[in-house]
Amino acid sequence: MIKLESAHIEEVRGIRKLDLIFNKEKFAISGPNGSGKSGVIDAIEFGLTGHIGRLTGKGTKGLSVSEHGPHVDKTKFPDAAFVILRVFLTGLGKSVTITRKLTSPNKPKIEPADEDVKAVLAEFADHPEITLSRREILRFILVEPTTRSEEIQTILKLDEIGQTRSALNTAQNKLQSAHKTTTAQVDAARSSLQLHLQIAPLRAEELLEAVNKRRTVLDLSAIAELTADTKLDTGLLSTVKAFDFNKESALRDLKALAGAREGFPDFARTEATAVIADLARLEADPALLRALQRRSFIEKGLDFVDGPECPLCDTPWQNEQHLRDHLKMKLAKSEEAKQLQQSLLSNGLAIAEQAIRVASLLTPVQKLADARGEILFAQVLAAWKAELEALETKLATVDGITGLTDRLKGDWLEMPKAFPQQLKALTSKLEALPDQAATLDAQTFLTTAQLRLVDYREAMRKNEAANIALTVAKAAHETYCAVLEGELNTLYEEVQQDFSTFYRAINEEDESTFTAKLTPSEGSLGLEVNFYERGLFPPAAYHSEGHQDGMGVCLYLALMKRLFGGQFTFALLDDVVMSVDAGHRYQFCKLLKTYFPDTQFIITTHDRLWAEQMKSAGLVTAKTSIAFHSWTIDTGPLVESNLEIWDEIGAALGKGKVEAAAAALRHHLEYVSRHLADQIGASPQFRADGNYELGELLPSVLKRMKELCGKAADAAQSWGKDADKDTAGKRKTVLSTSNAAMSVEQWAVNKAVHYNEWANFGKKDFEPVVAAFKELLRCFSCETCESWLYVTPHGNPESLRCACNAINLNLKQKPK
Amino acid sequence: MATLQQQIAEKFLGKLAESEDVDDATIKQLRILLADGKKLKADDLVKVFGQSAGGDLK
Repeated sequence: MIKLESAHIEEVRGIRKLDLIFNKEKFAISGPNGSGKSGVIDAIEFGLTGHIGRLTGKGTKGLSVSEHGPHVDKTKFPDAAFVILRVFLTGLGKSVTITRKLTSPNKPKIEPADEDVKAVLAEFADHPEITLSRREILRFILVEPTTRSEEIQTILKLDEIGQTRSALNTAQNKLQSAHKTTTAQVDAARSSLQLHLQIAPLRAEELLEAVNKRRTVLDLSAIAELTADTKLDTGLLSTVKAFDFNKESALRDLKALAGAREGFPDFARTEATAVIADLARLEADPALLRALQRRSFIEKGLDFVDGPECPLCDTPWQNEQHLRDHLKMKLAKSEEAKQLQQSLLSNGLAIAEQAIRVASLLTPVQKLADARGEILFAQVLAAWKAELEALETKLATVDGITGLTDRLKGDWLEMPKAFPQQLKALTSKLEALPDQAATLDAQTFLTTAQLRLVDYREAMRKNEAANIALTVAKAAHETYCAVLEGELNTLYEEVQQDFSTFYRAINEEDESTFTAKLTPSEGSLGLEVNFYERGLFPPAAYHSEGHQDGMGVCLYLALMKRLFGGQFTFALLDDVVMSVDAGHRYQFCKLLKTYFPDTQFIITTHDRLWAEQMKSAGLVTAKTSIAFHSWTIDTGPLVESNLEIWDEIGAALGKGKVEAAAAALRHHLEYVSRHLADQIGASPQFRADGNYELGELLPSVLKRMKELCGKAADAAQSWGKDADKDTAGKRKTVLSTSNAAMSVEQWAVNKAVHYNEWANFGKKDFEPVVAAFKELLRCFSCETCESWLYVTPHGNPESLRCACNAINLNLKQKPK
Repeated sequence: MATLQQQIAEKFLGKLAESEDVDDATIKQLRILLADGKKLKADDLVKVFGQSAGGDLK
């Protein structure tokens, strides 16, 4: 996707002004803690994405890029803080320049601002996981399976998939509720029709029999078959149809309503009691109530998230993902509230079904009252029906239900006070009417039957539509879950294999048969690792912390490989390599070289020895690495470079600053001697605390190199290789005769001679010291690649080499 | 390179097309929703599934 060519950083984090050339190569930045390495990582991450990972996430409350991104002395002048990156886009074959200011992180200046360029950079900016810091490694390893699942799903950007699954599930639930409601409406319409026809069950034959009986009275032809188009009152004149009601049927409706009224107090009483209990719990636990209200509020908010601004409070977030994660975290915390929510909605639906039933009983009576001129009663019934429909809507949401506490405690149907009396009065009036003539009875029977059949058919149609929609929603949800599970299983299998391969590559000496197992299940991801073929165990069970760290790095690399595929071209590893213990560092370098040859890693380490080992292993070169020796608030990182150290010392001497030159030389020698002691296997007197003085290390390094050169010369002679013998011999001679070497010898025998005395030297006195050590150190490095020499294999060396192989001196003599 | 999301969406639509319960028009609508680039909303899905029934559910 991208590779970094160069960076210019000004007034960002701890950096004042710094230029770095990366040349699209793997690059190492070393230096002690607090020397500014992570500041470089922050600046690059900011330049590429507009974010700084260290200023966001857990434990960073109160920190922000705009306030804490600029150098501490420039917080009032944040415009001075910016990063210019020269980036190569591998897919497009283009080099582009990105200039990003801390004051406007989301508005980088991109040159050229081609659409394809902007698209690639925008996609890249959406990948904060390009940066891995040491403190983040173990989030993959030493965490609960549920947390690991979340972490890995985040890095693989599975949240969008989860969101789709969640939307499908919510749609299915909504349609399930809709289907239940329409089913209740069908039941009510069927009851109404059956009540009128006086048949049970509702079958075509019985229906036609009841209808044809009345049609016969009217001399109308019998209906032979009930079809979708059948009209029960066909043949009746429209004037006849205007008759208002069928007395017998109307009395049955009134009786049905009166009968139901007796049972009103018990309607959905169990469910209403359950709701009251749930609401009482909420009243007694304000925290639970807040969680529930917040849950409902957040769920609505999540639905409306469409960008980095919170739809609930307009707060701007770094990006949409941060906002979504934040809201989801809040939802996850309210599991108890979730269960309560489900209970309330389920009981609410049951109560709503009873409300629908009552409303369906009111409908014919309302029409009757209206037709009989009982306007007041008709209005009471109409208002009650409307109230029940409003109640139905309230019962569909938690917010609506929470406002119904008092109502559900008593007569939740809220029967109008005048209703029983008015019902009784209407019934009496109707009963007092003379019986309808047979023809009128038959006519009104047919018209009423037709109206109720239409209502029933309509309810059936809606119910069928709701059923089809629910079936499709179920199929969609189930199919998505099945496909998702299959794809994730494949993904985890690939990650598991790569993870095991990478870990074995690092630990090939002692764990060459290592395997790991990722076990995905609903919402969690278990990880077990093989421990010396004794079985699978959690990572923390038997492996050392160092090994667990190594696992974290390997899992990260496996995930990145899966996430980017062939486009994993860039990653920032901030002090991550420290997780790899000393015995496995060369293998780690080999892993990065072998499995990620086209990936540009920008690697920081506070262990300078590690940085040199990266060079020796050929992962980086002197030109693709940099060392900071210290940092000050005024200067930012102070660069120590093998290539430039002698220029820096010369410059200090040129200004008459002997003390500064002496400090630089001393510092350089400390670093080089420690590194070389490891590279060539010197044997200083052992110190348990590892705190070796320069006066202890350098003599042993000198002695060891002379010994190696002697061995190389003897070996070359035994094989008849005169050129190698000459090379080794010359190095040994210089090592023995240089003035610096003489000083080093003096340290070994006379502890009163100490490099601290250099600071008291005059310029003329110190210049020869510098020249002598420069000459001496040349004997330890390659003139071609400028890397330090090292022996290999480490324990029982067979050759003395440099990184480019221009120097490769055999140490083993020809067998006699 | 197709993202994991795209791969899953393609397989999902392919499998769904084999289902007798789901018609072509619904698949087409779902494809549009999934390709939209925006986050899927449950209410949009309810509309699509409702239309597949020829109903007027909202």
